[in-house]
Amino acid sequence: MTNAIKLAIFLVLAYGAVPLALGGNPYVIGLIVASLTIGGISVAWALLGNLGGMVSFGHAAFFGVGAYVSALLTMRAGWPVFPAMLAAGVGAAIASVATMPALRLRGPYFALAILAYAEIFRILATELKSVTGGAAGLLSIPRLPMVLGIDFGSKLGGYFVILTIVLLAMTGYQLIRRSPYGLALKAMHDSEDATKVVGVNSTMLKAWMLMVSAFITGVVGAFNAHYINFLEPDYAFAGLWTTLAIVSAIFGGYRTVTGPLLGAVVVYLVDQLLFKAILPQGHQIVLGVLLGAMILFSPGGLMPLLVAKFTRKEASHAA
Amino acid sequence: MLLELDGITVAFGGLVAVSNVSFTMAEGDVLGLVGPNGAGKTTLFNAVSGLVRPTQGRARLLGRDLIAMPIHARARAGIGRAFQVPQPLHELTVRENLIVASRFATGRIDNERIDEILDLLKLGHKAEAEASTALALTEQKALEVAKALATNPKLLMLDEVLAGLETAGKRAFMHTLDAVRARYGLALLIIEHDIETITRLCQRVIVLNFGKLIAEGTPEHVFNDSEVIRSYTGGEAA
Repeated sequence: MTNAIKLAIFLVLAYGAVPLALGGNPYVIGLIVASLTIGGISVAWALLGNLGGMVSFGHAAFFGVGAYVSALLTMRAGWPVFPAMLAAGVGAAIASVATMPALRLRGPYFALAILAYAEIFRILATELKSVTGGAAGLLSIPRLPMVLGIDFGSKLGGYFVILTIVLLAMTGYQLIRRSPYGLALKAMHDSEDATKVVGVNSTMLKAWMLMVSAFITGVVGAFNAHYINFLEPDYAFAGLWTTLAIVSAIFGGYRTVTGPLLGAVVVYLVDQLLFKAILPQGHQIVLGVLLGAMILFSPGGLMPLLVAKFTRKEASHAA
Repeated sequence: MLLELDGITVAFGGLVAVSNVSFTMAEGDVLGLVGPNGAGKTTLFNAVSGLVRPTQGRARLLGRDLIAMPIHARARAGIGRAFQVPQPLHELTVRENLIVASRFATGRIDNERIDEILDLLKLGHKAEAEASTALALTEQKALEVAKALATNPKLLMLDEVLAGLETAGKRAFMHTLDAVRARYGLALLIIEHDIETITRLCQRVIVLNFGKLIAEGTPEHVFNDSEVIRSYTGGEAA
């Protein structure tokens, strides 16, 4: 099967079969929307990790900033929802500029510094009561609008919006990866001096990747705000947005473009539909065990495992 | 003047690796940089290409101040650098190595030039091979030069690109360098230990010892200089 056919089948399933089969079940659609929301952050996180070489523990910062920017633009400035969501992405990208001094740090130091930034943003959202409503939060955030007869404010409408956001993010990720920028970024990890002496401004490239990653996360955060219509600092900047995204990316295969989304859908749905039923309290512990097992048995994650399995099958068919 | 170094000094704490070195190169010059191990040759290269910051002194390329520029800006200004230990861009093919160099140093991917360079450096048959794993030593050295050439340099700095090659390989590589110079007319600054190679390639030689410039002139003149001979054969005793 060529990649184009695979993509076509996936699109038909995602935009056709899933809504047809599950559209009447708001509970399950709601779970899928939540998993795609985490998938969006996960894609953004993996983009930064893979292309920028940076491990972030602070993506909740961009998620929260995006959520607040879009909510406030629509509520206080009367912006329409979709343009406000784009502006939220820009807002999150601008917020990421504030974290750029952390780019000088490497590895775990960067991860911790950006975690601190997430905390700073959470505190700001709590304390700037006149703007954000403080700890009481924002109520009645406008829902996603009705466009051309399609009610994006419904559960199913929300599904189409977040699905499209995540797929666009993945397309952007793939385009960057294949461009000369992607090549330079790939080379930078192991040969930074060598890339610099051929003219690559590596600091600038990393900064761009941070901004792109923050932009995607901000748009996803904005979507979530308009989807659930409510925000408070402890929710919008919750560390869970980061950890679930990281678990999903690593589980699905953080080195691939599709892995983080696959990981998010599998991890979140299995957790909510299966483990939560068995272990109502502390079911997340199973996620930890699963992640540990995945790292032990397939360090590249679920996606490479599937790809290897299918290629072997196709090869044996061919033979 | 293409390159002007004026009083370049590089100190690492108390250790002065390069001490007050000044020289100039005109466009198209081929200058050899020789000296015993630890004389400061590679450190001087690092100071020109931007990997270390001189403690003192000035460096200009075509009148532009190099010291103020970060490494990538110097590459864009016309400094090409081949490392002594080959540093291919990891996970990339040979061609992709040149694509990155061409795109980021010149602002566009010059495929014609890339093909020409691959041809000149005899890397055409390995263009799609992974650079960090699939190349023999000679090819790795050729890729170092090819990468630097793809940046469209005005000055190409070669750090012992011939070291480690056997005699036939050395000779072939020298022919390649001749062809590169004939094609692009660029200036070469060459670090090399082998006196025969230097004599064959360079019109002019400068000698560093303990970070200081101790002699400058034609290869014949310099290699007959008693101080140079002393520095190579072991100091006071000789």
